[in-house]
Amino acid sequence: MDTTIIDFLRLVLLSMVPFVLAGQGTMLGGRTGVFNVAQEGMMLVGASVGFLVSFYSGSIFLGVIVAMLSGALFGLALAYFTTSLKMNQFVIGLALFFIGLGVSTLLPKLILGITLTPPLIPTLKSIPIPLLSQIPFIGPILFKQNILVYVSILVSIGLWYFLFRTQKGLELRSVGEYPMTADSLGINTTKMRYWSTIIGGMLIGLAGAYLPMVYAGTFTEGMTMGRGWLAIALTFFGGWSPLPILYGSLFFSAIEVLAFRVQVIGSFLPYQILQMFPYVATILVMILTFKRARVPGFLGNNYDREKRSL
Amino acid sequence: MTIVKKSLPYLLAVVASFVAAGIFIALMGFDVFKAYQTILFTSFRTPNGFIQTLLKFVPLLLLALAFTIPLTAGKFNIGGEGQMMAGGIGAAAMGIMFADLPAILLIPLVILGGVIAGALWGLVPAWLLYKFNINEILTTVLFNFIAFFLIDYVCTGPWRDPAAGHPTTVLIGRGGWLPMLINNPPLHSGIILAVLVAIGVYIYTSRTTGGYELVATGANPRAAGVFGIKTRRMFVLSLVLGGAVAGLAGAFEVAGNQHRLIEGMQSNFLQLGLIIGLISRGNNGAVPFVAFMIAVLEVGASAMQRTMMIPVEMVFIVEALILLFVLLSDVVRRK
Repeated sequence: MDTTIIDFLRLVLLSMVPFVLAGQGTMLGGRTGVFNVAQEGMMLVGASVGFLVSFYSGSIFLGVIVAMLSGALFGLALAYFTTSLKMNQFVIGLALFFIGLGVSTLLPKLILGITLTPPLIPTLKSIPIPLLSQIPFIGPILFKQNILVYVSILVSIGLWYFLFRTQKGLELRSVGEYPMTADSLGINTTKMRYWSTIIGGMLIGLAGAYLPMVYAGTFTEGMTMGRGWLAIALTFFGGWSPLPILYGSLFFSAIEVLAFRVQVIGSFLPYQILQMFPYVATILVMILTFKRARVPGFLGNNYDREKRSL
Repeated sequence: MTIVKKSLPYLLAVVASFVAAGIFIALMGFDVFKAYQTILFTSFRTPNGFIQTLLKFVPLLLLALAFTIPLTAGKFNIGGEGQMMAGGIGAAAMGIMFADLPAILLIPLVILGGVIAGALWGLVPAWLLYKFNINEILTTVLFNFIAFFLIDYVCTGPWRDPAAGHPTTVLIGRGGWLPMLINNPPLHSGIILAVLVAIGVYIYTSRTTGGYELVATGANPRAAGVFGIKTRRMFVLSLVLGGAVAGLAGAFEVAGNQHRLIEGMQSNFLQLGLIIGLISRGNNGAVPFVAFMIAVLEVGASAMQRTMMIPVEMVFIVEALILLFVLLSDVVRRK
C-alpha cells in the first residue's frame, strides 16, 4: 500500500511539469496584460520541434533549447501583433494556435516522411539527488525525479521572487494592472510586455517538449490533449501568482494521474467517463474559484499611449 | 467600385500568400506549378471533385458560422467541434430510437435532435459565462474534449455496430436519411439548408433589430448596456445560436453522409472553421465565400498528397498566410 502511494505521488509530480511550466508562462505574459490563448498550439510546436531536434542531434538538451526558442518565437509574434500593432489578443492568439497546430504536424511529415512507425527518442532519466533521495517516503517522491521536475519547481520559486520581491518585478506587475500609471512613472511598458511574453513563450514551449521526452518518446498529433487549455484554467485557479499555480498544478496533475490509474485498474464506470474527468473537474474547479480569482487589471487589453484614456 | 476597393486587400492577401507559400514549397523541392494546379483545379476538373468540395463546404460553412455568430457579440466560441459532435449524437439518437418512422417525420426529428443537442452543448458554457463569469474560450474548448469522449462512449455503447472495426453506431432508420440531390457521386440536400442558414444569419445580423443588438453588444458592450440592451443575455443567445448551427453540421454528417455516428467524424473542421471565421474577420456575409475557398483548397490538398506525396498540411501554410496577410491589411488600412 505504501509503495502505491509513493508511486502515485511520484507520478503526480512527474505529470505536473507541463502544467507548471505552461501555467507560469501564461501567468508571466498575463502579468503585463497579454492574455495568451495559443498555449495548445505552442506546446504542440514545442513537442514536435523538441522531438525532431532530439532525434536528429541525439541530444535532448539541444531539443529542449530549440523547443524553447520556438516558443519564444511564438511569444515574440504575439507580443508584436498585440503590443506594437494593437490587434485583438484573442484573434491573434487563436491564429497562433491554428498555426502551431499545423506546423506541429507538418514538420514531422516533411522531415520524417509519412510513416506508420515513428522513431523513438530516449526519455529523460530520473536524477536522484544524493542523500536527499534516501529520506524515506519523501525521498523517492521529491528527489528521484527527472531534471525538468526540479527545473519547474525552481522556475516557480524564481518567478515568485522576481515578481514579488524585486523592483523590476513590481514594475512588471504594474504594467499589467494599470499601464498608464506605469508609463507615467517612466516604465517602458512595451519592453516589459515583449519580454514577459517571450519568456512566457519559452516556458510554454518547454512544457510542450516535456511530453515526448518523458511520456511517449515520440511525437503524436495532438498529444497535448488539451493541456494547453487546462493551463489557462490553472492560471486563473492560481490567481495569476507563481506559487499558487505550482500548488494548483499538483491538483490538476493528480486528477490526470487518477483518471488514468483508475482506467488501468478498471472500475464500474466506463473508461470514457473517466477520461472526461479532468475536463469536467476543471470546469467545476473554475465555478468554485473563478469569482474570487485575482486577475491582472489590464488582462487582455492593449495599451496605446497616444490615446487619452484607456 | 467600392466592392472592388473593399476586396482588393483580400485579393492581394491571397495572391501574396500563394507566392510566399510557393517559395516555401519550391524550397522543399516540389514542383510548385503542378502543386498549385492540383490544389486549385481538382475541385473543378471532375464532377466528383466538385461534389467533394460541396460536401466539405457544408460543415465548414456551418462551423465557421458557429464561430462568427458569437463573435458578432464579441464572444469566442472555440467549441464548434464539441457542439457538432453533440449534434451528431442527438441526431443519431433520434434516428436510431425512432428508426421506423417515415421520412416525413424522421428527417425533421433527426435534424432537430442535432440542432437542440448542439444548442445545449453551447448553452452550458454560455450559462457558466452568464452565472459565474467564466471565460467562454476556456469552457467551450473543454466541452470539445468532453464531447470527444462522449461520442466514443456512445459509439461503443448499446448502439454499437459490432460488425464495424472502428467505434460506430448502427445505421439510423432509412427514413432519417437526407434526400439526395445527386445520387452518383452522392450529394445530400443538407447543402440547401446550410446555405439558407447562412443567408438567414446574414439577414438576422445585418437587417433585424435582434441582430443589431448582437452587433451593438459586440462593438461596445458598455455603450450597448447604457442603451438598454441586456448584453449578458446577448452573450448567451449568441453562444446558443452558434451551438445550434454547429449541431446542425453534426446532424448533416449523420443524416446526410455517414447515416450513422462515427467516432472521429469531426475531422479538422474546428480549426478550419476558426480560420474561415478569422479570415472573414467575423463578417457573416463573407463567411460562405471564404468557406468555399477553403473547401477548394482542402480538397485540392488531399489530391496533392495522393498524387505528389506533398503532405496535406502544406495547404495550411497557404491558409495561415492568407489569414496573416488579411489581418495585416487591416493594420495597414488603419494607418
